[in-house]
Amino acid sequence: MDIWPLILLNGLTLGAVYFVASSGLTLIFGLMRVITLAHGTSFLFGGYLGYVAASATDNWIIGLVTGLVAAGLLGLFTHQVLIRRFQDDDMRVALITLGVAVIGTDLMLAVFGGTATQVPFPQDLQVAVQIPGIGDYPLIRLIILAIAVVLGIAIYLVIARTRFGSIVRAGVDDAPMTSATGVNVRVVFAVIFAVGSALAGLAGVISGTLFPLLPGQDGSYLLFSLVVVIVGGMGSIPGAAIGSALVGVVSQFALVVAPTYAFVLTFALMVIVLAVRPQGIMGRPA
Amino acid sequence: MSTQTPSSSTGSRWKSWITAQNIVVVVVLLLALVFPLVVDRPRFWLPNIGVRTLWMGTIAMSLVFLNRYVGLLSLAQMTFAGICSYGVGYFSVTMGWPIIPSIILSLGVGSLAGYVTALIAVRTKAIYFMMITLALSQVFYSWASQAIEVTNARRGIAPIPRPDLGFVNLNDITTFYYFALFLAVLSYAIFRYTAKSQFGLAIQGIKDSPERMSALGYNVNRYRTAALTLAAFVASIGGVILVFDRNQVDPSFVSLDATLNILVVAVVGGIGSLGGVFIGGFVFAMLQNFAQDFTDRYMTLTGLVFIGVLLFFPAGLVGLGPIIRRLFSKRAKTSASTGSSETPIAARRAGKNNKKGQHK
Repeated sequence: MDIWPLILLNGLTLGAVYFVASSGLTLIFGLMRVITLAHGTSFLFGGYLGYVAASATDNWIIGLVTGLVAAGLLGLFTHQVLIRRFQDDDMRVALITLGVAVIGTDLMLAVFGGTATQVPFPQDLQVAVQIPGIGDYPLIRLIILAIAVVLGIAIYLVIARTRFGSIVRAGVDDAPMTSATGVNVRVVFAVIFAVGSALAGLAGVISGTLFPLLPGQDGSYLLFSLVVVIVGGMGSIPGAAIGSALVGVVSQFALVVAPTYAFVLTFALMVIVLAVRPQGIMGRPA
Repeated sequence: MSTQTPSSSTGSRWKSWITAQNIVVVVVLLLALVFPLVVDRPRFWLPNIGVRTLWMGTIAMSLVFLNRYVGLLSLAQMTFAGICSYGVGYFSVTMGWPIIPSIILSLGVGSLAGYVTALIAVRTKAIYFMMITLALSQVFYSWASQAIEVTNARRGIAPIPRPDLGFVNLNDITTFYYFALFLAVLSYAIFRYTAKSQFGLAIQGIKDSPERMSALGYNVNRYRTAALTLAAFVASIGGVILVFDRNQVDPSFVSLDATLNILVVAVVGGIGSLGGVFIGGFVFAMLQNFAQDFTDRYMTLTGLVFIGVLLFFPAGLVGLGPIIRRLFSKRAKTSASTGSSETPIAARRAGKNNKKGQHK
């Protein structure tokens, strides 16, 4: 049996997790032109709280929702209390959210400890399905891939088709002008920041279902999200989809080809994209 | 902030050197010189506070130089220092070469790393540049923790004893402290000199208006690359102090935590001030050593201090002087206060405008 289709599918499901996380980052960047370095913190925070809720209620869906809401609230708090006043100063926002990340890492280590935890999911889903050309494949990975695809299409449609989406797009192009037309841009900013963080939290629960949650993942997922957003182009949802699929697949192939340097090869992808197309694959020239 | 007048007549040269900034520099330098004589337990204070302040400060200073004079926030400075540390370990211990050529070669390797980073990142600006340098630093970290034949993976290269350089024996901790102090002062002098040179004025012009400088015939990217390489060289000097302070080198030198620590030092000291980083480094080294006495969560404390400084004192601890002065003069003029957090921002904006005006 050929292993390449299996690796490809593994890469795509991993990319699904990256996509959910990085779509939040790219949304925040696209509208607000700021980068939140607390994105990995939202990811791990959502993952841990999702784990607590899912274990307590024995319900995976409640775990997902808890992770989503908890990270969203954390994002809203961060935005309202710490960075709202400095929104024009992207460097300062990046540094303040970095401070949040430092505190978050330390406190989560204190509360949840250094051991690996995994989000429980229903027995019915812990089965394998037969896929032609690959063989048995865990159903849960396919479900997560489907969640990511549906979510991606939903975000895209909301932004492309709805009134709120048109406000967001207008805000991306020219925030002061949008504000002048009577839109309360500050509310839109707060909503987008909360939604972006919530997506990271959701990604945390999803990731915690597939892989163990560990301290330090906040840093690594922040980096992966950054790489995805840089590769895909900042502020573009399709770009984030392409970027995450690329990063996921490349990292899985690299694990097979050169296990020791898998991480380096993943970043090499970013360097190549930057050298050829500094604004990212789907990014607009700045 | 100091006033920087590019041209000064030779007659008033000495007078122009007597500024508030230079007086503070001399005072701090004198304090640093007598530091080994006044502390009660030199065996604890010199390595844990003194030398640590000096290497953290030197590396953070290269970050501040790039931020202030080039307008680029590089998160790879700790990595350049770490690369140099690895160089010293690899050449002198693994290869068994003599120490002085090893150090010189390592400084070259660290600078080369800065040059290569510049080639990749120099076309990007501001926030993009920051993210790319962060990502590149993590590439090196992951490589260093896995490349067993060069870096000995997670175990690192040890021991790297402090050498007897012939003219100076670094084995003695007091001598090593003064050696580190000399390197730190040298780095400071390099940056101060560069900032006033023709080259320094050009990069500051590029920072303020790349388009205009480009139109004047300056190759913007080449200047940025040169500045980045210089900053990587100074970071490498910090790496030399670092490797002899720890007597080993391992991947934790270039981890995300180490990178963030340098950033914290720069921000707490004052991201706009070359010398302030040493104050930031001192505060940070004190926190690292003594916070454990009253709390287990010293990273949380560090994060809170970091955010507090960013929210209320964006110019860092060295910015406190002007703020206090301004507060008093403002009280004298009007009774109305605009709120403590607004003052420094407004001040910084005003400062920015002044600078722009000067360059015209």
